[in-house]
Amino acid sequence: MRLSTRRLILAAALAAAIGPALLALSAGAHGQAMTRFPAPGTPSDTLSIHAATDLTALAPLIQDFQQLAPGTTVEIREYVTNDLFSAAARACHEGRPLGDVLLSSSVDQLVKLANDGCARRVEGPNLPRAPRWANWRDEVFGFTFEPIVMVYNRDSVPAAEVPRTHLELAELLRREADRYRGRVGTYDVRLSGIGYLLAFNDARQTTTTYGRLLESLGRAQVVVRCCTSEILDEVAAGRLLIGYNMLGSYAYERVRRGQPIGIIMPADYTLVLSRGAMVPAHAPHPGLAARFVDYLLSERGQGVGQSQSFFFGLDGTAPPGIEGPDVVTSGIARPIAVGPALLAVQDAARRKRFLEDWSQSMIQSAP
Amino acid sequence: MARREPSLFLRLFALMSLVLAFGAAVLMTAAWYSAREAADEAYDRLLLGAAYQIADAIQVQEGEPEIALPVSAFELLALSDRDRIFYRVLDPAGRTMTGYESLADPAAEAAAPDKALVENATFDGEVVRVARVSRRFDDPQMRGDAVVIVAQTVEARQALARDLTFRSFILVGVMGAIAIGGTIFAVRRALAPISRLEVAIRQRDPLDLTLVSVSTPRELAPFVAEINSFIERLRGRVELMQQFIADAAHQLRTPLAALEGQVDLLSNNEVTPEGRRHLDRIRVRTGQLSRLANQLLSHAMVAHRERAVAGSLVDLTELTRRALDDAIPDTLERDILVTLHAPPDPLIVSGDPVNLAEAIKNIVDNALRHGAPGRITVRLSRHGARAVLEVEDDGPGIPPAQWARVVQRFGAPSSDGKGSGLGLSIAAEVAAAHGGALCFREKGAFGFVVVLTLAAQGREVA
Repeated sequence: MRLSTRRLILAAALAAAIGPALLALSAGAHGQAMTRFPAPGTPSDTLSIHAATDLTALAPLIQDFQQLAPGTTVEIREYVTNDLFSAAARACHEGRPLGDVLLSSSVDQLVKLANDGCARRVEGPNLPRAPRWANWRDEVFGFTFEPIVMVYNRDSVPAAEVPRTHLELAELLRREADRYRGRVGTYDVRLSGIGYLLAFNDARQTTTTYGRLLESLGRAQVVVRCCTSEILDEVAAGRLLIGYNMLGSYAYERVRRGQPIGIIMPADYTLVLSRGAMVPAHAPHPGLAARFVDYLLSERGQGVGQSQSFFFGLDGTAPPGIEGPDVVTSGIARPIAVGPALLAVQDAARRKRFLEDWSQSMIQSAP
Repeated sequence: MARREPSLFLRLFALMSLVLAFGAAVLMTAAWYSAREAADEAYDRLLLGAAYQIADAIQVQEGEPEIALPVSAFELLALSDRDRIFYRVLDPAGRTMTGYESLADPAAEAAAPDKALVENATFDGEVVRVARVSRRFDDPQMRGDAVVIVAQTVEARQALARDLTFRSFILVGVMGAIAIGGTIFAVRRALAPISRLEVAIRQRDPLDLTLVSVSTPRELAPFVAEINSFIERLRGRVELMQQFIADAAHQLRTPLAALEGQVDLLSNNEVTPEGRRHLDRIRVRTGQLSRLANQLLSHAMVAHRERAVAGSLVDLTELTRRALDDAIPDTLERDILVTLHAPPDPLIVSGDPVNLAEAIKNIVDNALRHGAPGRITVRLSRHGARAVLEVEDDGPGIPPAQWARVVQRFGAPSSDGKGSGLGLSIAAEVAAAHGGALCFREKGAFGFVVVLTLAAQGREVA
């Protein structure tokens, strides 16, 4: 029930922003939300996008793409990252089509799909624009540059307490245990592929800091959620004080809307995620799909994304109003490269063990 | 007719190119194989390294095997950044701990497999290189070999092999180009003596019967020797023939003179008118015969001198004057006006004075016998580098259709039987030997003209 309410609110917001005639909302076959963007011109074909990405971020890109391809109706099905992965993997192994384009912030899952032969090679004039770390086999492309940030409620967290690094966060939670108990939120890595990917990379960055942070978060009875937006909602509302490992683009969008949210790029290291796009091997409209992926990496698509959806350029240019050093020039950026090294993240045994450790620290240690 | 053979240069060039092309093909194949091997060797190390890293991460905890795949192993494999990676970890009991269940163990059937093994295989429809390493566990709770199988597609290897092969290709190509260039140079240099010999033979005068004296490599010496021996034989034949003709003519002259005398004696006696007619005919025929003998002798002499006498500088005017004196007999039945027009300065040509005089005598004699009822005019002049002698007579002349034939030996014996058909051919031969020519003009000032052109700076007569 909770999900569907959110969906309705989102749809209403979009309808207000885009125009009432443009949107049609229906429930998909698997229960995922399906949003249709009717072709602005005479409809000739349909592009089906299966996405684990917020519709608000995606809508401007879709509409701009439709300016270039006026005959194209675009259908978007929304998923949580793990659901998208399992649906795509199942469809691939059964040889069924599942959409023309998969978009997911959990690029390790896309890499795993591509490694299992579920991706189709994409060619296009703009694809060489993707940085080397954001293109694997011309099959999985990273098309955004999204620093992973901490957010806090400006009204409730005093400026002196705002943590600048991962270690500071751990110290703060230890020092002010009472005040922050139950008021820090992060991803539920068991539900969210991206949460798992981020936590995994945290663990690899600094083992000691990660251990301490995990311990502090557990002791502070961290609140875990499936998605960035839910935590951001609660931080904005003041129910949560700090959100950890949030997607910078979503957080910045809240800031632009005037919500009392502060954004910190951790000064010790800032993970940078590139949202992935992939064309499945059995895509019904591979040509159109390739055109869309190419559009995402084109100067025009990047411009729209930077001004309306993701706010950071693929080259790392940051929008104003973000605390912490510049992520590129200061050398703190740790881009998660789109490549076969992510397969270790997706290893079943390793994942199982990681989740066990994580659950033990985060959930069971809570009194 | 001999079949036309391709040139020696082309033969050598084609054969050398063939050998080179074959060599290049062999080299390229070898390069491709060694490149593939090198690429395999390089990437096999990565594959094995990754497999060992993974094997090293297997741990026994509370009697159970556990594996935390090391990211570094995948980062190692990611060095070939476009290749798909498949892996499978088996515990000592043979159960899959993690990875791709369908990835076959390449040493599953081997009784005592090597500790490390790399080979080619296919997985998921793609060619892969598979590495298998095992790790021995001797824990009390767990004994046996844990196995790590790591497979990777071969795009990076192929790219490396292609790259290496391409570099060898460039090297072989450059070597080939150098070799071809060297071949062209070497073959041209080696065949140069043939060209030299060819030029030397081609530039020889057709009448030159001296021996060829060009320095040649050993291989060509037999040809030159054969040519020289041929020339010697030819020279012998020609001399023999000339000698024979000269001898025969000479031998004929004596009995002919006797015959003429007997005829003259006979004509003094009383003979019937019928007999006198026959007698006159005999006299005419005898005269013709002795003239023929004279001309044959003259021809043989001319031919001999052409080969044997070196040229000298001759005043053509003086020469012509004397030749005219010789040519016009004192005892001519009819009155004839012979005029000589000559430039005031001496007209110098290079040549054999005897042969030139013979030529002029033959032309004038021809005019006397065949035309010229009353007038013969001889004109000498200089036209640039050429000396020109014209003999014009008021006779009937020679029809143009016969011009080409009258300059050949016995080409056009005159129909009235008075000529031998040798006179003009002797003149033409002498003209040719002096770098000149004999030609005709239908109408001069008053009659038919024979024109003898000579080089004023005549060629040396060999």
